[in-house]
Formats: sequence, C-alpha cells, structure tokens
Amino acid sequence: MTKLEAIIQTAKLDAVKSALQEIGIEGMTVLEVRGHGRQKGHTEFYRGREYTVDLIPKIKLELVMPDGMVEKAIHAIVSSARTGKIGDGKIFLSRIDEAVRIRNEERGENAL
Amino acid sequence: MTTAPSLSNDLRDLYADEFGRIQQEFSATGDGRAAVLQRTSLVEKVVLRLWNELFGIQSAGFAMIALGGFGRKQLFPYSDIDLLFLHAQPGGEELLKGQVRDFSQRLWDLRLKLSLSSRTFAECDRFDPNNIEFAISLLDCRYLAGDPGLYADLHDKLVPRLVARESRQLVQSLVEITEKRHCKYGKTVFHLEPNIKDGPGGLRDCNLIGWLGLISAMDKLCAWPDSQALADVPGKPSDDALQRLLSLRCFLHFRHDRDDNTLTWEAQEDAAARAIGMPSAEQVPTPDWMRLFFSQARSIHRACRQLLEDVPAGWSSLYRQFQQWRSRLSNADFSVVHGRVFLQQPSALDAGLLLRLFQFLARHGLKLSSALELQVAQTVPLLSSTPLPGIELWPALAEMLRQPYAADALRTLHSLQLLTILLPELKIIDALVVRDFYHRFTVDEHSFVAIDNLHRLAQTSSEWDRRYAELLREVEQPELLYLSLLLHDVGKGVPGNNHITASVEIASQCLDRLALEPQERETVLFLIANHLEISAALRRDIFDPSTVAALAEKAAIPERLKMLCLLTYADVKAVNPDALTPWKAENLWQLYISASNHLSRSVDQAMPAGTESDYAERFRMLPPSAAKKLKNFLEGLPRRYVASYSISDVLQHWKMAEHLREETVQLHIERRRHWYELTVVTADRPFLFATIAGVLTAWGMSIVKANAFSNHQKTVVDIFYFTDPYRTLELNLPEWERLKRELRAVLAGEEDLERMLSSRARAPQGHSKKVAVQLRVDFDNASSSRSTLLQLIARDRPGLLHRLSSLISHEHCNIEIALVETEGQMAIDVFYLTSGSAKLDDKQQHRLRAALLEELKDM
Repeated sequence: MTKLEAIIQTAKLDAVKSALQEIGIEGMTVLEVRGHGRQKGHTEFYRGREYTVDLIPKIKLELVMPDGMVEKAIHAIVSSARTGKIGDGKIFLSRIDEAVRIRNEERGENAL
Repeated sequence: MTTAPSLSNDLRDLYADEFGRIQQEFSATGDGRAAVLQRTSLVEKVVLRLWNELFGIQSAGFAMIALGGFGRKQLFPYSDIDLLFLHAQPGGEELLKGQVRDFSQRLWDLRLKLSLSSRTFAECDRFDPNNIEFAISLLDCRYLAGDPGLYADLHDKLVPRLVARESRQLVQSLVEITEKRHCKYGKTVFHLEPNIKDGPGGLRDCNLIGWLGLISAMDKLCAWPDSQALADVPGKPSDDALQRLLSLRCFLHFRHDRDDNTLTWEAQEDAAARAIGMPSAEQVPTPDWMRLFFSQARSIHRACRQLLEDVPAGWSSLYRQFQQWRSRLSNADFSVVHGRVFLQQPSALDAGLLLRLFQFLARHGLKLSSALELQVAQTVPLLSSTPLPGIELWPALAEMLRQPYAADALRTLHSLQLLTILLPELKIIDALVVRDFYHRFTVDEHSFVAIDNLHRLAQTSSEWDRRYAELLREVEQPELLYLSLLLHDVGKGVPGNNHITASVEIASQCLDRLALEPQERETVLFLIANHLEISAALRRDIFDPSTVAALAEKAAIPERLKMLCLLTYADVKAVNPDALTPWKAENLWQLYISASNHLSRSVDQAMPAGTESDYAERFRMLPPSAAKKLKNFLEGLPRRYVASYSISDVLQHWKMAEHLREETVQLHIERRRHWYELTVVTADRPFLFATIAGVLTAWGMSIVKANAFSNHQKTVVDIFYFTDPYRTLELNLPEWERLKRELRAVLAGEEDLERMLSSRARAPQGHSKKVAVQLRVDFDNASSSRSTLLQLIARDRPGLLHRLSSLISHEHCNIEIALVETEGQMAIDVFYLTSGSAKLDDKQQHRLRAALLEELKDM
C-alpha cells in the first residue's frame, strides 16, 4: 500500500476531488495548511500597516491506496491541479506497512 | 443450592429474557416510564439474587443501597447501576472484600455496568468537595438489602444532617458543574443532534431542578420533605415533559444498543415516525417533532437557568457586591434586583414598554424575573392581535440590535414567542433543523450566535479578532449588519435548493414592513443576497487579481465590503465553534484588504457606457428634459459616487447643481447620527477642497471623512463629514446659517481664511495622547488610467486636511477625487491628482513628496 500526500492550490480542491472520485478513489483526508516552495509571498498594505503572507494557504490531501492505483492517482491529481505556474504544488509517496479498519478490525487493502 | 456457574447462567437467561420482553413492550407502547421501572425491577431481582448468594447470612452492620438512577427507579436500558455497600464500622470492607469482588465480577459477566462505592457510615458523613457526585447520589438512596437499621440511620439521620450542614457547598458545586456542562454545549438547546441527557434542557437539567428543590427543602426542615413539598418545587418539569424525555432516552438506548443519548438525524426521523413521546400514536413530520422537542427543552433549560441564577443570592459576598452593582442599573421603568428585572410600576405592559424592556436587557445582559416573565408572556395574545407598526418597531429593534447583549435579548424574546410576533418572517426557521455535517445549531440559533460573534469582538484578546473588531467599529450603521444576520438564512425554511433567493424575497417583505430607508433596505438586501460570496471567493486563489477585483466590484463601496467581510466572519464562526479556523480567518482578512485596496485604486473608474442611462432610467418620474439634465450631471461622475449615495442624495445634489445660476455655491448641512454632513456643489476652482477644509477647521470642527467628486462639466460635489467638539451647531441654531455665509464669503474671496485659521491656531489644541503613526506617502501611477494616486497616512491633527490639500494645490495639482478617512488618531487620505489634465510625472511627484514630508515632519 502507498500513502500519497499532495499539496495543491486551494482553488483546485474540488477539481482534484472529482478527478480522484472518477478513478474510484473516495477516501481522503483534507487539511488546510500553509507553505511555500519557490512561490513568492504576498504583501498588502492596509491603513499604513504591512500584512505579509510568506506562507501561502494550500490544501494537503492524504490518501492511502493499493500500489496498483498510484500512477492513476498521480495522473488524476496532476491533470486536475496543474496551472503551469509556480505554486502548483507537489506529490509525495511513502510505503504503508498496514491499515486497520476501526469498526471491524479488517486489515490490509480490504481496510482501505 | 445453586452453584456459582449455574446461578450465573440462570441470571444471564433471566436478564436476557426479561430485557427482551421490556424492549418488546416498549416497542409496542413507547412508554418510557414503564420501561425504566421494569428495568429497575429486573436489575433489582438480579442483584438481590446475587446478594443472597454471596452475602445473605452476613447482613448485620452491612447494607446494599441503590443510588442515582437506580435509587430513583429510573434505570434506562443501558444505564450504569449505582450501588453503595455501606458498612457500619471500619474493617467491614476488608472482611467482605472477596465477596464484593465476586459480586462485581458476576455483574460484569452479565454485561451490567456497575458503578460501585464502598463506604463506612462515618465516611458517608464526611463531605468531600472533590466528590460532590457521591453526596448528590445519596439524595436518591434506596434500600435494597442488608441491615435495615443501618440504612434507616443513613436515610433518616445522616443524609438530612449532611445536607443541612453542607447545603451551601452542595448547591455551589452543583451550580459550577452545571455551568461547565452547559458551556460544553454552547449554553443552547438548539443543537442539530442534541444530547438528551447532558445537553441543556435534557434529563440532567430535570434532575438538577429536583435536587435543588430537595436540598432547599431539607435545608429548612433538616428532614426529608413530604411528597407534596417536592411536587411544589419551582420550575419542576411537567409529568408529560418528563415522560417524553424518559421515553426518548429509552428509545435511543434500544436503538443504539448502548448508553448513547445523542438524538442523531436518523434517530430523529425514527422517533418522529414512531411518535415517541407524543400524546397520541400519530406520526408527525420530523421537523414538527423536533420543534416540540426544542420547545420542551427550552422550557426546562429556562427553568434551570432561573434556578441557577436565583440560588446563589446572598451566599457569596463578591456575588452580592456584583448583584448590588447591577441593582444600580435600575431606572424609571425597571428595577434590577439580584440581576433580575422587575417593573417599577407593575401596570399593564404595553408594546412601547415591552420594547424598552428588551433594549434594557440587551444593554445590560440582564434576565427577567419570574413575575415579569409571566407578565410578558401574557402580552402575547394582545401583540398577536394588534401588531406594532413597522415604522415604530424598526427604531426600537435597531437600538436593541446595537446593544452588546442583543443576542441574549433576542433569545429571551424568542423563548417567550414574542420574536415571531414582531418579526413573523422568522417563524419558518423557528427551531428548524437543517441537515448538514457542518452546522451545529438550528437555523434560528445560528443567527443569534452570529450576532453574538460580532458583539463579542468588543472584548476579544485574540490578535486576529482585534482586526475584525476595528473593522466593526468603522461600520456606520451596524444595526443593518445585525438585521442582515437575523434574516440571512430565513430562506432555509422554504423548500428548495437556493435559500438565498428565498431569504432575499422574505427579507424584502420584512424590510418593507419595517419601513427602512431605501438605501438601508438596499444594503440589507445586498448583504443577504451576497452572504456566501466571500466564502466562495475563499475557495479560489485569494491573491489572484481577478478574484479580488470581482469581489471589490460586487461590493462597489468600502462600507459594503466591510459589512460583507464582517457578516462572513460572523456567519462562518456561527456554523460551529471550529468552523472559522485561523487559516480561514487569515485568508478572509487578506482577501478583504486586497479588495479594499482595489476599491481605493479604482475610484475614478467611470460608470460603464450605458450605465448612466440605466441609472437615469430609475428616475422614470422625471419629465424627459429633466432626465436629460440629470444624465448630463452624472456624466463623468465615477462609479464610486453612484454606489455611495442614495437616489434621493443624488437627486438633491443634482437639484443643487441646477440652482448654481442663482447661487454659485450651493450648500447643505445635515445632522446625522455620528456627525454632521456638509455638501458643497459648485464650479471647480483651484484650492476649493483646501478652502472648505480650512473653513471647517477655523470653526473648530473635526473632519473625519470627506469625499470629493467632479463631473465632466467641472461641477464639483464635495461632501465633508465632521464632528463638532464645541457643540457650536448643536447649541446655536443661528450658527448654521453663519457657517454657510462665511464659507460662501471665503470662497468668493470676501473673507480671509488665513486670519480665521490664525485665531484657531492660538486656541489650545487639546491634550490627546500622541499615538505613534508611521508616516507614509505613496504615489501610484499604475492603478488609475487618468490620475496619479497619492495615498497618505499620518497622525491626525486639527487642520491637517486643509494643510495637505493646500499644499497639493500650491504644487499646481488638481484634486479630482478625495477619499478621506480617520481611524482613531490616524488620518488615511487618498487623492486622485492631475496636473494640467494629465498624471503627475516623476519630477512633480518628487517635488510634492518633498513638500509633504517637510510639512508633516513634526507630526
């Protein structure tokens, strides 16, 4: 099993969710996060005060899936989240040793 | 003799069979009272059989006593079983340790959750403030088995003695525990999935009312009161109400197969379908069933709150002092005693006095006394039959909405059925449950919480919230914002997917009835129609210029943008306590300031082609020649002008422009709620803006805001908003005309402004504490296609605007548009400048900057 963590633009959440649902991935965890890579921050002056946002608001998705779904998921996320500009985000993959369904203690891929 | 394993099997079978029978009977009858009695008997049978098996011959100096729900004979299907093993002497516990352990294990094996206490008689007499629950559970003690004499000593002597001795502490602790419990549930009954045991208005509140009554009676009698005295406990829920709650809790236990007291959505539908707690077995629609539930819960909660407030009176010197302070709030209409409001003259309560009463509650956060509550409830039929005209209602309602405890006053009005008489539009959202995973409260409670969210900004210590608090202080008519929050979701009571359209329609009828001014009406409808706009924008890229521009254009003027931002803040925060995350709050703020800056930079955008004629279309009552003149007047005036001023204001300005042939300087002064408004319509000329500002300064007025616009015909519309610290105009009517005369004379060159200003300069400047304001002078040649923007922030002081605008004019710059605001001691001025009908070049900007910095260097 593989864990996929995707950091995407806030505005792309609905599109990415739809794209994942289309390929049969329903379960995901969504977090409101802040961060930046090379994307510059944003400064706005208001009433003489400077408001600088170095860490840009983003959405982080966490999904765990069978290994066979990983490439499809990556393709779905990339095609729906991409704008071509700096700040589109990143995808990270890691191995998952085990998954357990709390309700009935099912394990492995069946628990996903 | 049965062996232990066979006894356990017997008991298991007995329990399972009997439990199944109880469940079946409840399914058929829905009778919760019968079900809890039956389960109590069943459990009693089981524990007595175990007792006989394990302790039968060893009962002297040892007794088994039921406590809590078991003692009250109210054991719900999956409730814990509270038992006390009482020993006459120390050492008894040690002797019987083995049997007690066996007893517990056998019950656990039967899957009965046991909550067992083991105490000596002397230990029961010792009050432990850290274990108030045990002392309270003794109030429900009931003999089960063992030494009856020992039980009698406990029940007849120890408990009354303990209560009489510790009543103050008991009550105080009960109050604290209850407050914490109520706080956990947001102090409201109106949850979408209420907890019927621990939530406000639930079974725990019913128990609390009983305990407080019992403690109070025992305190007086030093003995157990008789049943009549207990029946007379104030605020005691009716038998029907209690039966409903008992039945509902049984229903939930059987449904969930565990001690789960949450009335989930699915359970609500099921309960309504089975008419749980209804007098007849007739099925009712789920929303109606929930309304009945909330109505009952509200009564129980109100009775409980009243007891909590009444009880500590006189017991805490600090509390006494606080309540005595609150007594000083009494006025000619109302007296305040121990935080409760009474009528000074207990005569008939008319509509006017009623509204003043609720304004009073809203101002001071007070509660009604029981007597006054009864009186108010009796006015309901009268008010229903002769409703108050909207034109009288709105000013009173507006005043109430502005007060810090408006939400609590609205809740009180609502609980007494008065709010839906005053505002019938709210009836369709009364206790309305709308199913979604995010909202925690019913629709009406959500609106009250939203209003509260804004009022609480005044006391916030959160850095983020303070920004919104500052914004709220700038809103000119906050009552419109609160009214919008009250009405923004009424459309959810109408079937269909788009609640916004329905809300706007219903609110429109309400506003017509309240006879709001046209511009006020437009503002409220705008806020309701767009109350989800910012939330939608937050799901896009908030730094994308097109997102910012779209929002700014929708709001059109800063005041509406501020109100929409605050409405979004309050609305999101009222969904549930965690809905407005710091992430969202920050994004909301960023979007607001970007849109606000966008508005400042786009003021001189002319109305799009065709809009002038659209706008003039609204004046259909005008003859064609007049409409054409109006259209000419509007040509060249920016979109901001049209968005900022009502139709009647624009018509007035136009009429003033029409009279310029008779009088070349048209003036109009009007007193508003927070300031005076001076409108000047005249032909443009050099130093015009600076001169007007100078005259006001010379008169000792403090300019807080100013807007200056001009049209293609070079007719200027300048509006100055100022306060009158010396109350010259307020106390001296003739001075209004003298001000106008002097202004005309100065503009005509007949009076010397500098001489007037020099006399003011000699006057003391006041002792206001200097606040550090960082001076900023910024030029922007990109935002406007026609003008150079000058944005200036400096510490405000008398005469500042006159000096700045004079300086600008001295540098041969023309002020096309001026937007002047004051925030505390900070002056925030935006000027759209041209020189020779073109933008300022770099040299001119540099010169003007140097001159401004030189002028402002001492500030």
